[in-house]
Amino acid sequence: MRRPLMLGALLLWTTGCGEEAPGAPSEPPRAGGATTIDDRTSLAFAQPAPNLLPEDQERHRLGDAAFEAVFVPGPAPINPGLGPTYNNTSCNGCHLRNGRGMPVMGSGPQRTQLLVRVSLPDGTPDHPNGAVPVPGFGFQVQDQANYGVQPEAAVALAWVETQGHYADGTAYSLRAPRVSISPRDGSTLPERLLTSLRLPPPVFGLGLLEAVDVSTLRALADPDDRNGDGVSGRLNEVWDVAARALAPGRFGWKANSPHLAQQSAEAYVNDMGVTNPLFPEPDGTHEISRDTLDAAVFYAQSLGVPARTALDDAEVRRGEGLFKTLGCEQCHREMLETGTHAVTELEHQRIHPYTDLLLHDLGPALADGRPDGAASGAEWRTPALWGLGLTQTVLPYAAFLHDGRARTLEEAILWHGGEAETSREGFRVRSAVDRAALVAFLRSL
Amino acid sequence: MTRFHLTLRLALAPVLASGALLLGACNTDDCCSNPTPETVDSAVISTFVDQVVVPTYQDLATRLATLDAAARALQADPSEARLETAKNAWFAARAPWEESEAFLFGPVDSYGFDPALDSWPVNRTDLDAVLASGDALTPEYVRNLQETQKGFHTVEYLLFGEGGAKKASEFNARQFEYLTAITAEMKSISSSLSDAWTKGYDGRPPYRDTLANAGQSGNTAYPSTQAAAQEMVGGIINILDEVANGKIADPYDAKDPNLVESQFAYNSLSDFSNNLDSVRHAYRGFANSVTTAQHSLRTVVGTDSALDKRIIAELDAAQDALARVPEPFRDSISNPASADEIEAAQAAIRKLQATFESEVLPLVTR
Repeated sequence: MRRPLMLGALLLWTTGCGEEAPGAPSEPPRAGGATTIDDRTSLAFAQPAPNLLPEDQERHRLGDAAFEAVFVPGPAPINPGLGPTYNNTSCNGCHLRNGRGMPVMGSGPQRTQLLVRVSLPDGTPDHPNGAVPVPGFGFQVQDQANYGVQPEAAVALAWVETQGHYADGTAYSLRAPRVSISPRDGSTLPERLLTSLRLPPPVFGLGLLEAVDVSTLRALADPDDRNGDGVSGRLNEVWDVAARALAPGRFGWKANSPHLAQQSAEAYVNDMGVTNPLFPEPDGTHEISRDTLDAAVFYAQSLGVPARTALDDAEVRRGEGLFKTLGCEQCHREMLETGTHAVTELEHQRIHPYTDLLLHDLGPALADGRPDGAASGAEWRTPALWGLGLTQTVLPYAAFLHDGRARTLEEAILWHGGEAETSREGFRVRSAVDRAALVAFLRSL
Repeated sequence: MTRFHLTLRLALAPVLASGALLLGACNTDDCCSNPTPETVDSAVISTFVDQVVVPTYQDLATRLATLDAAARALQADPSEARLETAKNAWFAARAPWEESEAFLFGPVDSYGFDPALDSWPVNRTDLDAVLASGDALTPEYVRNLQETQKGFHTVEYLLFGEGGAKKASEFNARQFEYLTAITAEMKSISSSLSDAWTKGYDGRPPYRDTLANAGQSGNTAYPSTQAAAQEMVGGIINILDEVANGKIADPYDAKDPNLVESQFAYNSLSDFSNNLDSVRHAYRGFANSVTTAQHSLRTVVGTDSALDKRIIAELDAAQDALARVPEPFRDSISNPASADEIEAAQAAIRKLQATFESEVLPLVTR
């Protein structure tokens, strides 16, 4: 009953009222195509896509239940399987309201949202392009444990501030994290331990990004910077556990996961200690069923994408112009088109994610020094910017960048280096009015 | 039990429908390029914060302090009378918590206070292990325990036991020690939650100001008063959806009492009813007072307008329908004789939800 009404409204929106203000886009960008929702509240990242077919609405609901299920140690009548070591007890525990997380770790009700990936610089990986596991840790420090089990380590987080100035003399301060890892068994850490902090990224829109054809991404890539614009961009090549082969990576801060099924399964086993069909117990059994894993994956795939706001605001429009002038759009690609996907609602959508899903060298200040797949220690995958302006509506104290070091959007921009150095400097030397306009644009996303 | 599986897809339809109407009237010059939004009076937001949210959390903090005192009194003298007092204190504290569930945004979520107070299921494996151990239950030790070993439902399990029939003589000293350790932490958390709104928490400014100052420059959470009002209406829709399609539907559809909220104390229907009161408070702009708020969602709708009368009537009808579901809910879900009443309650709550979606949300979205 309702969907035809809705589609009718969209149709009017896109075709009606020909008199547009000068400079207005010819077509209002619908962030997620037909999956777009109009919601600017704290629940904006937690709504189903409005174009879901009835049977998929039910699947989404089941997925929502899986995503929020709090695990407990077995045996238990419901949700057994937590641990023995872990970082948090549910998907929702880190992905609060499906938004960016807070850079917190340790005890108390928030548990660990900011987790530490680890590996060794030398040694033999389990598979091509794999990292080398750290004895006692594997690839991730699990700082929580069930009763009677020792957590792998205690992790302490401190921030180091550095001062800087805009070209107009306005001062700013940037903070960088320092972690110290103390193994609970009293052992010493390997001398050359590679570490990388990871903040929970937003969960919505991931199905659309999965539905972008890899040929589209290959066309955007310019690994050797043949066009000489100072921006390269390349696809990660990572291990596909199910296919037992290398595959293009696109999910995670370093694009180290090939698809959402593997990324979700990795989160179950690494973040919560819950074995699953992709990462079973040594005897082949697992603590959640294929149905539960599929449900959680479908939930992430089928969330709606919040529409942009303030499209007519003059400052926002000027900021959008600056975003392009400064070259931000070279990596944060405004528009992509999806191809085919198992979830038909995601297919052939024109989307506005502001990412190219490619790896870029962001310079030494942001580098974690820990290669991941084919990504170097200085490369990061361009994060999508859709919904960016809702970050602190959804979670008031959420932070930005891979380790949550940026407290504001200005700080996030100022951390950019490497391939983005020219754009960053372009921002730094602009007037306060221009800088505010650029941020106003980002907040409208 | 927090859930966000709301179908705002249904809420979205009327918003877009109203957009269609707006565009349909496309014969004026300024219809599309620069629509003038109707603003929501900021007093609607500040009244909600100061007369609903803050008093509800203060009430919760007071009642959890009472629960902690009652648990300690029971520990000192484990009589049936004191157990009854402690159980009543648990029921009393449960009410403001459920009355807060129409506004589960802000500090309660960000700081993890919701899972700390209301996690489910109870982690009985580790609970039993800690009870059997000689571990000292220091505040730091308790802070490190999983949320599923603490909070309302673990206290409920300890106080009421399976089937709600626990007797004072069945407690041992270690259970009292554990009970009071976690009621102390709940008291502390509820105090932090209340402070987070009024005084600030963890070095951050009071969240009261973030919401009440919606639309003021520099407000990165709520750039307009409409955005804050949408948050209020979204919270109402969310809890109505949750009660009808989660709290009632999940155990009813599965016929599984393990999925029932507050199953040890047989308090489920009271929880649901208090959730509806949460909606009533958010709509009318006051939690405890009997005077009518000067500014509220109700005044946005139009006090005593046809829509307002419909909302109040549907709220009353939903409460009445819930009251007709036979206690205890954990048994009713499997009893065919109760099916009509359960489904009628779901239908009444869904009807109210649809009204907020289709009639109220558009009023604050234009």
